[in-house]
Amino acid sequence: MDIFTLLLWVVTGIAFIISIVKDKKKTINSMKMARGMMKNMIGQIIGILFLIGLILTFIPPDIIKEYLGKSNTLLSTIVAAVVGSITLIPAFVAFPLVGSFVDIGISIVPAVAFLTTLTMVGVVTFSLEKQEFGIKFALVRNSLSFVFAIFISFVMGVII
Amino acid sequence: MNATKYIKRNKLLLIVGAVYLSLIVFKTDKAILSFKNSSYYIIEMLQIMPVIFILTSLIEAWVPREVIMNSFGESSGKKGAILSFLLGSVSAGPIYAAFPVCKMLLKKGARISNIVIILSAWAVVKVPMLANEAKFLGPKFMAVRWVLTTISIFIMAYLVSKIVKKENMPIEDEKENNNGIQSISIKKQYCIGCGLCTKLSPENFSMENGKANFINKKTSLEAIKAIKPIIDKCPAKAISIKC
Repeated sequence: MDIFTLLLWVVTGIAFIISIVKDKKKTINSMKMARGMMKNMIGQIIGILFLIGLILTFIPPDIIKEYLGKSNTLLSTIVAAVVGSITLIPAFVAFPLVGSFVDIGISIVPAVAFLTTLTMVGVVTFSLEKQEFGIKFALVRNSLSFVFAIFISFVMGVII
Repeated sequence: MNATKYIKRNKLLLIVGAVYLSLIVFKTDKAILSFKNSSYYIIEMLQIMPVIFILTSLIEAWVPREVIMNSFGESSGKKGAILSFLLGSVSAGPIYAAFPVCKMLLKKGARISNIVIILSAWAVVKVPMLANEAKFLGPKFMAVRWVLTTISIFIMAYLVSKIVKKENMPIEDEKENNNGIQSISIKKQYCIGCGLCTKLSPENFSMENGKANFINKKTSLEAIKAIKPIIDKCPAKAISIKC
């Protein structure tokens, strides 16, 4: 276990102990909630993790690198942002998926665009947003988020 | 009946499982290689997954979201923006889970710019999620993306509030109806399936297909009053009293 994860466990452990000392019932209820959330997502999580193995086996990194090395970063970033906008998977399972892509050598610019639009832009939830806040708000917020996702990804490409 | 529900919920897992099975039969070496390739990510995930869910639930239980929400009325300007950012950051669930909460705040008079901040922060900025991101993509990646996203959120909030006015939004007042027949409605699309309501009040709620369901059809005014605390506890604000 790396130091970062260990630290998170220590912090959470301390928080848990404080919580249980202060209010046992509340803590137990919140643990039930944690279990419920985990149960809801575990199928998807395991599915994605094993999918990563398949992708890494059948799409050799060399081919991906060669292909993406030749293609235009702007174009691949826009495609990644569009895919992120229409996909509705929890960010939780997106991180290992995107991590595996970056590990095999894909540029981080489209990776960041995908991660950012995945959470901020919602094409599938657009009708819901329109219904609650009106079409103008939904349209403006989603388009701005899309543009800013591309902006963030290119700035990150320069920094990292 | 239950089998079809199970298939629907675990579509991805079943498809991936089927691919693995056929690989074991036809190309065993590829199946073993795929499994080996996955194992690193599985081990990493197992280390961090429980702690993320526990931390998310603890934040949900202890952070006084109600207090933050109630102080919205008076607060404006910088304070309002910071409160919005905090509110979004400490909440659990995907962006659409923020819709009912934001709608409620909008009715209470929150600014449009603050609503944008809550929605965006809710979507992107979450402490347990940042830990997950740092784990799989590196702390530097996470930190830089966090800073850039935070800056973008505040610029976006300003821009949206310049373009969209409250007249463009459907804000209707819900009628207070104390004598009318009341019932409980659950917006399924907002339910995160945490199961809190079923655990607190199993006689009124059940889980169906991973979503909460209201089972007690004959509700008296007293019964609905008793459900009120559960409505407040629902982390997704998916339960409401319907007149």
